[in-house]
Amino acid sequence: MRKTLTLAALLAASVSNYALAEGKTIAVSWKTFQEERWKTDEAAIKSAVEAAGNTYISTDAQGSAQKQAADIEGLISQKPDVILVVAFDSDAILPSIQAISNAGIKSIAYDVQFEDPNALYITFDNVGVGRIIAEEIQKVKPEGNYAFIKGDKGDPNATFLFQGMMEVLKDGLDSGKIVNVCETFTDGWKPDNAQKNMEQCLTSTDNKVDAVLSENDGMASGVVAALEAQGMAGIPVGGQDGDLAAINRVALGTQTVSVWKNATDLGVTAAAAAIALADGVAMDQIEGVGKFSGGKNGVEMNSILLAPTPITKSNIDVAISAGHISKEQACAGVAAGTVAACD
Amino acid sequence: MSKQGVSNAAPESRDSLLKRFIAATEIDTRMLGMVAALFAVWCAFDIYSGILRPNTGLFGGAFLTPRNLWTLLVQTSSIAVMSTGMVLIIVMRHIDLSIGSMLSLVAVAGAVLQVFILGPSIGVGHPVIWIAAILACLALGTFIGALNGFLTAYAQIPAFIVTLGGLIAYSGVAFLLAKGVTVAPMDKTFKIIGGGVPASWLGPFWSWALAIVVCVLIFLGIVGGRRQRQRFGFKLRPVWGEATLIAIGSAAVLGATAVLTSYPWPFGLIKQYAEENNIPIPAGVENPDGDAICMVGEKVVRCTEGLIYYTGFAVPVLIALGVGVVMTFIATRTRFGRYVYAIGGNPEAADLAGIDTKKMTVKVFALMGFLVGISAVIASARLDAATNALGQLNELFVIAAAVIGGTSLAGGIGTIYGAILGALMMQSIQSGMALLNLPAAFQNIVVGTVLVFAVYVDQFYRRRVK
Amino acid sequence: MSTPLVELRNMSISFGGIKAVDDVSIDLFPGEVVGLLGHNGAGKSTLIKILSGAYRRDRGHIFINGEEAHISNPRDAKNFGIETIYQTLALADNVDAAANLYLGRELRTRWGTLDDAAMEAEARKVMGRLNPNFKRFKEPAKSLSGGQRQSVAIARAVLFNAKILIMDEPTAALGPQETQMVAELIHELKRQGLGIFLIDHDIHAVKALCDRAAVMKNGQLVGVVKVDDVTEDDLLGMIILGKQPDKAA
Repeated sequence: MRKTLTLAALLAASVSNYALAEGKTIAVSWKTFQEERWKTDEAAIKSAVEAAGNTYISTDAQGSAQKQAADIEGLISQKPDVILVVAFDSDAILPSIQAISNAGIKSIAYDVQFEDPNALYITFDNVGVGRIIAEEIQKVKPEGNYAFIKGDKGDPNATFLFQGMMEVLKDGLDSGKIVNVCETFTDGWKPDNAQKNMEQCLTSTDNKVDAVLSENDGMASGVVAALEAQGMAGIPVGGQDGDLAAINRVALGTQTVSVWKNATDLGVTAAAAAIALADGVAMDQIEGVGKFSGGKNGVEMNSILLAPTPITKSNIDVAISAGHISKEQACAGVAAGTVAACD
Repeated sequence: MSKQGVSNAAPESRDSLLKRFIAATEIDTRMLGMVAALFAVWCAFDIYSGILRPNTGLFGGAFLTPRNLWTLLVQTSSIAVMSTGMVLIIVMRHIDLSIGSMLSLVAVAGAVLQVFILGPSIGVGHPVIWIAAILACLALGTFIGALNGFLTAYAQIPAFIVTLGGLIAYSGVAFLLAKGVTVAPMDKTFKIIGGGVPASWLGPFWSWALAIVVCVLIFLGIVGGRRQRQRFGFKLRPVWGEATLIAIGSAAVLGATAVLTSYPWPFGLIKQYAEENNIPIPAGVENPDGDAICMVGEKVVRCTEGLIYYTGFAVPVLIALGVGVVMTFIATRTRFGRYVYAIGGNPEAADLAGIDTKKMTVKVFALMGFLVGISAVIASARLDAATNALGQLNELFVIAAAVIGGTSLAGGIGTIYGAILGALMMQSIQSGMALLNLPAAFQNIVVGTVLVFAVYVDQFYRRRVK
Repeated sequence: MSTPLVELRNMSISFGGIKAVDDVSIDLFPGEVVGLLGHNGAGKSTLIKILSGAYRRDRGHIFINGEEAHISNPRDAKNFGIETIYQTLALADNVDAAANLYLGRELRTRWGTLDDAAMEAEARKVMGRLNPNFKRFKEPAKSLSGGQRQSVAIARAVLFNAKILIMDEPTAALGPQETQMVAELIHELKRQGLGIFLIDHDIHAVKALCDRAAVMKNGQLVGVVKVDDVTEDDLLGMIILGKQPDKAA
């Protein structure tokens, strides 16, 4: 449900839920702005915080755990009400989090988990991403030969995603309705490696592949290129990230789904939670909070796990209206009348 | 020493046939070894994949099929193109670690130009777009290469450091250029260079025409070389040796053509093509193993007779072969190439002989950059997208290809064809293991081991020849 | 003996404040061999590298056949007919004899490509004159013996009709037989009217091969003497003490 809420709706919800005291200070310690997405997060948090009449302050650790520790000391001395932390190193950050608690300030682990029971953990449901990819593919192709293009073998996310897929597909695989014909890790999540792996998969199965589950959109681009060369583009292909090129492929029909973690959603949710904490609402009383203990040390934390948004042909308008992609980009090369959002 | 004076006109009869053959044709025995190793690897993969899942290959597997060999060549082309330049760099006692990042940067720049800049401004599909994109890629690659060379030669920073810096910095530039997003799709005509669309397949007629032209050139080349040697009264190869060389060369060309032209268009593409061009699909009998497609009632199926097209040489493979020929020519027949090898053999001697070694360094790095530009076009056209992940770590495969191909890291020694064979060897191993669905970790282990083993065998060979 | 073939006037060069060559003047006539003697570091090789274009002088003038010559790199020197045979045997080890002979001055076909056959043919001709036993035209230079390498280096000078030949310890790496071969070569070249600068440690060799000897010490010229006018001991005295023998003018 939340996945379709826009920024405005979220703001309205947060405003109505809590009697807002203005003049609070919300601080964020960012780990880096090297990746484009954090700018989106920051814009969402900043505007939500300021729209409610509060003050937004922030620091950028520039990809250094040391600088982040110093950043947080600096933030503490400015006495904000809540500090959101995007940890660069989820272990090295713990003393800083302790310092925040000691100063009587509330902390939020934003998107990157650190295991401190006093903090609120807000992120997307990562295991769910794999599940959603599998669900969407299974919807359009309930049985047949499935190929799995997994990410880098050194990245735990590659395994989490695959676990999520397997949860959904287990029954189909057990009953023989679904056959796992290829399953490969892809060095460095690289699209060109994914393309080669897909080509070899098609060669070894003599093109008898009915659906492909790729663990991200970059690799999906390689998969689709390999399928196109065999005239097979159009079979169900799943990915994640909400890559602009992938959304365009969804509109064109060469990719079935791209699971999108809307950074704006995450930012707005976090801002609302931060404001609530600043107002003294107890952590476990905030809307959507549950218990999470899936970290590597199993520490139980209060957490908000947002469901990511599967973008399919039928809801491309969600990404467009959220400003994630322009209509021109999403609909480039799409024939009139094939996709509702493009007409 | 004692052998010097002996006339070689009549080989000693007790020499084995192979020895006489090698002496008569002056074939590089090292190359023979590599070709043999490559065939051994191919056969092994075919046999093993046949045991797992029987297919139509020579030994019942999926490796030695026209389809897989065709794909293998396309997959190799981007690395092969760059490896030819790396040979000259390493021969000159330098190294270029930046080519992977450079490829990302060039590919992303070319993609941004066609997708974000030219597409919206002059209309998607305008013929200027693909030409401009290719020229931009080649120019940018050459420029960055020349920059690497300039810093190495004139600022006297070791090439290892210059290009290590490039490896880190260029990928950053690539990231900023596209703000980290995947840039897609490529221009329709541009895509032809990638080999993924029917327009980039030569088809049987032109493939055979090309093959025959190449055979004629081989014949003329060998006859011309013989005339030249005759003119100066040098010792000649026996006529049967020359004839064998022509026969082997032609057989290799014609054999490769025969294999590639027997890979039919994929079923789905024939159907698309037939529908787009209003070609009636003939009726036939259902036979899922056939190559062509026909109708059974309302259903389009494969059959043994009927509508069928064959692929033949793909554009990226032709580009790689063309680059191989041109680079071999540059390395062996031009002053430029001679100087590269002389500098690698003894930089001081080259300097004292009046060769401008600094200018040569810039030129060689610029040539490397130009080749990276070509590879960037091939790689992004093939993927139909460009990202800053494209090309990353390619430098390792390219260097490995050159080294497996016999290029000595001490400088002075290396051949273009060796590097291309090396690239083919690396890709064969990777593709073969992907075909067997082996875990990626296992693939890495094998590729790494092969690299070290190949260098060991090479050194062993060199010591024995001495 | 009118104009000297080469006249070096007031040559100076310093490296990091040390005067490697300090105001040295020396001349060389056609058909003459001038030996350069001195300790290691006396400045002989440095002086000669200025003439061959490998170093750029700080001060001084070079005259070739009486006309001032501007030499700032090895190519300039070659254009004046100055060929150098280096102590380090400057051959590219990985290419064959013909390629080494023509390094930097390759013959080309009318298409602009290397004419290897023509180069090999010329190489066979010139080597046939200098060292008839040499047969290893197709092998990389590193497989050649010291004498063979030296004969390739000398052939390179002869091939391009050198007028002025600089030899830096040409017999240092050679056995007695090969040394004899080089000595004969020098006599032959001298007879053909070349001017030769010969750098050597071996006073005996200098006495045997040279017409005049120039001795250097600490970058400065001690003196130039006719070898027939002095004894080996005189030369030794010049090298060690840096003093002119009494009878030399």
